[in-house]
Formats: sequence, C-alpha cells, structure tokens
Amino acid sequence: MGTWWQGTWLVAERALLENVRSRTVKVVTGVLLLLSVAAVTLPQVIGGGSTTYKLATVGTAPAGVKAALTAAAKSAELKVAYTTRADKASVRRAVRDGDATAGLVGTTLYTATDAGGTFPVLVAQTLVSQEASRRLSAAGLSPRQVADIQAIRPPRQVTVGRVDDAGRAGIGFAVGVVLYLAITFAGTAIATTVATEKSTRISEVLLAVLRPSQVLVGTVLAIGTVALAQLVVLAAPLAVAVRVTDAIGLPAVAGGDIAFAVAWFGLGFVLYAFAYAATASLVDKVTEVNSAIMPVTVALVLGYLLAVAVVMPDPGSGWSTAVSIFPLSAPLAMPIRWAAGTVPVYQLLVAMALTAATGGLLAWLGSSIYQRALLVTGRRVKLRDAITRP
Amino acid sequence: MARVGTMGLQIDGVAHSFGDRMALDGVSFQVVPGVLTGLLGPNGAGKTTLLRVLLGVLRADRGEIRFGGRRVTAADRRGWGYLPQERGLYSAMRAGDQVVYFGRLHGLAPREATRRARLLLEELGLAARWGERTDKLSGGMQQRLQLATALVHDPEVAVLDEPFNGLDPVAVASLSETLRRRSRDGRTVLFSSHQLDLVQDLCEDIVMVDRGRVVLEGSVGRLRASSGRRQLRLHVQPPHRDWLRAFPDVTVVSDEADELRLTLPLGTDPLVVLDAARTAGRVVDFGLDLPTLSQLFLNAADPDADINDPGANESRAS
Repeated sequence: MGTWWQGTWLVAERALLENVRSRTVKVVTGVLLLLSVAAVTLPQVIGGGSTTYKLATVGTAPAGVKAALTAAAKSAELKVAYTTRADKASVRRAVRDGDATAGLVGTTLYTATDAGGTFPVLVAQTLVSQEASRRLSAAGLSPRQVADIQAIRPPRQVTVGRVDDAGRAGIGFAVGVVLYLAITFAGTAIATTVATEKSTRISEVLLAVLRPSQVLVGTVLAIGTVALAQLVVLAAPLAVAVRVTDAIGLPAVAGGDIAFAVAWFGLGFVLYAFAYAATASLVDKVTEVNSAIMPVTVALVLGYLLAVAVVMPDPGSGWSTAVSIFPLSAPLAMPIRWAAGTVPVYQLLVAMALTAATGGLLAWLGSSIYQRALLVTGRRVKLRDAITRP
Repeated sequence: MARVGTMGLQIDGVAHSFGDRMALDGVSFQVVPGVLTGLLGPNGAGKTTLLRVLLGVLRADRGEIRFGGRRVTAADRRGWGYLPQERGLYSAMRAGDQVVYFGRLHGLAPREATRRARLLLEELGLAARWGERTDKLSGGMQQRLQLATALVHDPEVAVLDEPFNGLDPVAVASLSETLRRRSRDGRTVLFSSHQLDLVQDLCEDIVMVDRGRVVLEGSVGRLRASSGRRQLRLHVQPPHRDWLRAFPDVTVVSDEADELRLTLPLGTDPLVVLDAARTAGRVVDFGLDLPTLSQLFLNAADPDADINDPGANESRAS
C-alpha cells in the first residue's frame, strides 16, 4: 500500500505543480480573491452612507427631539442627520425624492414607501416617549420616576419562519452556490486534464508504470486541492473580516456551517470528480470534452436545481429530505437543509455515508472505464463499450 | 546456440482479441538477455498489441509471460522500461524534470533520479536541453527524450515500440548504439519495427509476426544464411552459360550480359559454382547476396510470395 500512495502522490504532486504554475489558475485565483475582498469591503464602503438616516423638518428640529433621537440612534448603531426645509410641502418633497429618510412636521411623520427601515419607528418612539415624559412630569412624577418609566424596553423580538434562522439559511444558500460552482470548475479541470493526457498519449506510459487508480486518484487529489485552496482564498477575506472588524453581521454559527461546507465539498467533489474523469477518458480529442462530460454536468445541474427548488423554500418537507439524502443531490442540498436547522443527525450521517459509498463506487467504475477507454484512440469510445468490453 | 532455457523473457502462447478480431493468436518466443531482439512485421501484424500485453497495459486472453522462469507480476512490470508507439510527454514540463519524474515513478529517490537523468541526457545528446520546455524541442529530440524516460531507471527489461520510426539515419545509428549498450550490459531489450530492412543490421535476434502469429524466429545471421534463398551474382565473359548444366538445382533468376543472378539451394556450395564459372570464362565481378529480412518475411508469411524479384526488397515490407 505504501508504494500505491507513493505513485499516487507523485502523480498528484506533478499535477499540482502544473496547476500552480498555470497562468489560468493564477488568474482565476486572483479574480476570486478580488471578488471576495470586494464582497466584504464594498458593503462597508457603500453601506457607510446607508446607515445614516436623514430627518427633514420645517425649520430647525426641536432640541429635545434631536437629543433624544441622537441618543436612541446611538444605541441602535446608526447615525442621524438633520435637514431643514422651508415648509410642509418641501419636507414632503424631500422625503418623496429620497433627500430625507423621514420628515417631521408638527405631529405628522412623512415616510417614503420603499425605504427607511426602522428609522421612522425610532422617530415615532422618540416623539411618543418625549410627550409621555412631559405629561408624566406635569402629573407630578419626579425626574427619577420618569427616567425609570422610560427605561422600559420592548420584548426581545424573534422572527419565526420556515427556517430556524434566516441568516444561517442565507449562508446555506451561499454555500450551495459556491459548492456547485466549485465542483463544476474542478470537475471540468479534471476532465480537461484526463482528456489532455489521453490525447497526448501520456496515459499509456503512465499505465505501464502505474495502476489506473493511481493516475486517477492522483489527478483528482491535485485538482481537488487546488479547488479547495481557491475556496479558502474565497473565504479568507470573509473570515478576516469577521475576526478583525466583526462588522459583517454574520451569524455566530456561520463558522461551523462553513467547516461543514468544506466537508461536503470533499464528499461531493469525490463523487463527481471520478464521474468527470471517467467520461473524459472516452474522448479522442480534447475538444470533445464538453460533450463527453455532458451527462455528469446534467446530473450536477439537476442536483443543484432540486436543492434550490425543493429544499430552499421548504427544508422540512419529505421531498427535501429525499433530495438531501439522494447521493447525487446530497452534497448540494444537505448543506442548505442543515443551515436551515431542520436535519436530524441520523439523516445527516446517512446522507454522508451514501455519498461516500457512491463516490467509492464511482471511483472504482471510473478507474475501470478509464483504463479501457485510454487505449482506444482514433475514435470516441462509447460508454457501453468501455463498461462491457473485457 | 543455447537459446532454450529459463533465462530472459518468455512469451508463451499469448492470445488477445478485440471483439471478433484476433490480434494475437498464440504467440510464443523468447528474448535472451544480452541479445538485442527485434519484433518485426508489417503494420497491423499485432506487434503493438503484443508489447502492450507484455507491459500489462492490455490483458492477454490466454497465455503466459515469464521472466527468469517466473511468471511476471504487475510489480515486476513496473520496473521495466516502456517506449510506447504513440509518444507521450508533458508538453509544458522541462526536459530534465520529465526524465526525473519518470525515474521517480519507477521508484528512484529524487537525487538518484536527477543524477541518472543527467547521465542519460548526456548520452543521448540532450544535456544542453535540460531546462527547456518539452514542446520547444524538435521531433527527434522529443523522441530521444521519450527514450530517456523509458531507460532512466536502468530497467532489467526494456520494451520499445517502433523506436526508429521517423528518425534520420544518424539518429537511427545513435539510438541503436544506446540500445546495444544496454543489451551488452546484460539487459533484456526487445524492440519492434515495421521497417524490416532498416533494422536488419541492428538486431541479433528477430521474431517475425504476421496476422497475430510468429512466422519466423531466430538469429538474423543464421536465418539469412540458411534460408536457401541465397543468390550468387556473376559477371562472366564470354557470356555463354553451358557450364551451368553441371548444376541442375541452381535456378537462373535473371540473365543479362553483365549480370547473371542465380539462386542456390541449401546443399549447393557457392564456391563450387564460382569455380565452375571461372573455368568457363573470366569472372569480372561476383557476389553472394543473402536475402533481406523483407524477403525472408514475404517468404515466411506467404509461401507463394515471389521473393525472387529483386525489386521487391524495400518497398513491400514497409
């Protein structure tokens, strides 16, 4: 077994070096890094403006309202700016045109139809609180008693939906997309490598020294490592941002979900990688790769569509359970379902075991197709021939 | 010659078919260490299939391959050297790295693989190309580089499929010297070729295959000398042929004023025929022509072949 690994490792090492040196891989990794950095930093830069809300008033806003609002805004981690208008109509216009988030004229609060979020509520609460305090003071309560009443906080709000935690579910969705893309890219890279080795006839030299499984596993290992490294590159700025600024608002569980995603990437990658390699070995020319790997691509796309169409809207349904356990869709569907928080552990284990077993089966079948198909040159090999030929 | 024994590589009744087409039909022969052996035959004779079976790239339907009297295992084969007919190198890899890589695949430690790769590229005249990308080398250089990847680990058994294909005469000479050196060192070297007459002087032993069967096997010198197809070429003056009546077994191939061509059967001593000619007239020129390998092949492959036509030499075998 030691020598099996030795040969496999040599194949992997060579393919890895070739990938690392390849310009395409460098460019793709660079673009990924840029995208990731942009995804983390751009919302911060752009978002700096959007967390500042503007209140339009006729003349200067009352000092008491201003002070209370600024204090409330501070505790809610947002900024408030004030703008003055000449009359009621101008305030209305400012709000309508988006120059202000809200407008306050006497006892009327103008808000836009589409934006504003919690800010109008905050303004309204501040006004109510101010007026309540004034009346309580007038009724003879001491300032301390008034302050005590003002300290009353509304109950903690928990959103109840189909998913346990919308933030986590969002992460699950993102993980699904990234896994799908990663497997597609890595699978195509494997297919291209296999087809190139076949069309340049290196495979025959390799097969005289190595077992097909060694060539296959070595190649898959190398490209899997590159893909995983690119995933890490993609995730690194995110992780740094969470650590350093803690300003992304990622749910606390996301770290675990991301580790989980990496595990599923491993399983899903193994499953599809060998299928990609086996189908790619059927080609005669490198240009035929895309049509040769079509069945695998279709299976992957269907798996992803099932994950998005069935699991995303209702992770708890029976269909979702089936889709997240069926090996061909499990790597894409299970992380989504898991992030939605509705998966019993035994189902997770079953899905992982099934996916791993199917991956093993495909690795074995792939090796056998690979060995037979590699020696047939001058024409495209039919899958049936590669399986049934002695 | 003591050719029978358990030494070397023994191919015993090997058969392989692709579907209905029988590529190898019970092929048996032996390759002796130290005797450079050529596997010859026309295109499509089954040479590549046989070599692939030898290397375990294809599996034999029946038959056995032994080395040193012992059945060959997959592990044994991994120590062999193989030059496939369809060359394959990593185009983006540097020439030296390529050889080192294959040395390591064959189990050499990195340092040892590098040392041997340098020696071998030196021997093959590629030392200056160590750092060049493989796809920047000329076709002939790539061919030598491919040979280097097959020999870098100094294999006990080297199997080369059409190593001379597409090489110029200088390259053929240098490559055959490399192979002879390995053979002299006691290695078992088997190569295939469809250019029978090109390799006539290179190999010591030949195995001729046609349509999946061995049709001729043995030492080149002995096969040519004992074929019974030797031709005596004479220029005798005056050109009368009465003296020939003393040799009823000798047949006249061609009779022109300046050249008489005779086929001598096995029992006839060429010197006796020559002496008779000398008594009859003045022998201006003479020579004994042994049949070429292609003539031997045509004769062995198809008993009805007309090998007496001297024009059939080169063109028909390739």
